[in-house]
Amino acid sequence: MNETLTQNLLVFGGVLFAIGMVGFLTRRSIILMFLSLEMMLSGVSVNLIAFSRHHQNYQGQILAVMVLTIAACEAAIALALVVSLYRRKATLDVAVWDDLSETLLPKVLEAPQTLGEPEMIFPKLTPAGLDPMSRPISADFEAQSLGNGETLKANAPEAGTHA
Amino acid sequence: MNFINSLISNAAFLAQAVTDVPDPVVPDPVVPASAVSVGAWTSSMLLPIVLGAVGYLLIQHGVVKSRALFAAGVVSIVIAIGVAMGFTPGTFESYVLMLFCAIATGGGVGFLTAREPVYAALGFATAVLSVCGVLFMQSALFIAAATMIVYAGATIIIFLFVLMFAQQAELRTYDVQLNNPFVAATIGAILLATIAMCVTGDKAMLPVRADTTRAMSEASLPDELSSDAGREAAKKMDAIDPNLRYVPKLTAGLGRSMYTDYLLAVELAGTVLLVATIGAIALAQRTTETQA
Repeated sequence: MNETLTQNLLVFGGVLFAIGMVGFLTRRSIILMFLSLEMMLSGVSVNLIAFSRHHQNYQGQILAVMVLTIAACEAAIALALVVSLYRRKATLDVAVWDDLSETLLPKVLEAPQTLGEPEMIFPKLTPAGLDPMSRPISADFEAQSLGNGETLKANAPEAGTHA
Repeated sequence: MNFINSLISNAAFLAQAVTDVPDPVVPDPVVPASAVSVGAWTSSMLLPIVLGAVGYLLIQHGVVKSRALFAAGVVSIVIAIGVAMGFTPGTFESYVLMLFCAIATGGGVGFLTAREPVYAALGFATAVLSVCGVLFMQSALFIAAATMIVYAGATIIIFLFVLMFAQQAELRTYDVQLNNPFVAATIGAILLATIAMCVTGDKAMLPVRADTTRAMSEASLPDELSSDAGREAAKKMDAIDPNLRYVPKLTAGLGRSMYTDYLLAVELAGTVLLVATIGAIALAQRTTETQA
């Protein structure tokens, strides 16, 4: 029964460790990478406590105290570093600091990803004339609109939608 | 000459005394017959791991809305808990332990899949507090309290503070577009499957054996075993029920062991803390000086 409990706790610690590792590999914000590290450390602590109970002595608990100490030190140093890095470049992206690593590695170019529709707030005015957002008004606007009536007709319902 | 001879004989006597140190009195380990072959590895344990990896990829690629998958995860966790409670007869304690484990895993999943960093930090706080509950159920009271104070009290608050200091209102590209989710999920699934296979495999767990390879003070032994009467009582209890183990559950014993057997490690940890404090102050001050 006790072995089953220990095994379950070891699997649980492994789950926490795997979650932390996946987070560390995928996240790109520095703070969340450090949080992933802390998650891995908590998984290790669970393992240590499980073995401490399994072997009926305090060695695992003492090692967990040491892990806790090192985690606190790491958090303090890491946050001081994060704050100083953020003051320099005003971003939390780790890719910004790629030039600190090997320069011979090929750089991974990324396409900026848009988050759905961009929010554009239009002023609610009475629609009149052409929509300036759809087409820039040329200098000879008067002559064009007088000569070709279709441009006015084509823009009329588009202007009406913004009302 | 006499002096040297006496010195040599003394040294030899000392060496013999060192090598002949009687082993710390440890009762013979009582290994129950059914201790080893519990919880064999079956390939069906791969199913939740693969499902978890696939769900993580689905969320990261935006195929599935995270709320639907969150609901599905909650339902599956509830079903899994029900199945586990149905198949493994346990006590109320084990059910509470499983609940803590489930909440911690859920917090970890929320930490992985949240897009907003603040929500990720809150998921991490949930996971760590539940881990504290697990440690509490394992009678590691001091570790649970210290973890709660250090992680949830200090680390999470400082992390949230830095997040709100550095985070803009809208999501940035580096919050949304992650590094190679497929590769990371594959590596994580393989790692987790390997850990589960090694841990739950047949004869994976060694039987309980007290450590006799190094001399330790009696403080690191369980409290019941540090006296003759306690040892006799322990043997009697072993004769009654071999599964009854002597769990180190007193925080006083932990403190005694820490300040007798591991005094050097404690001093080193204190030194590391001091160095980290000085380093953090120096790092924070240097930037302000260069900017001013």
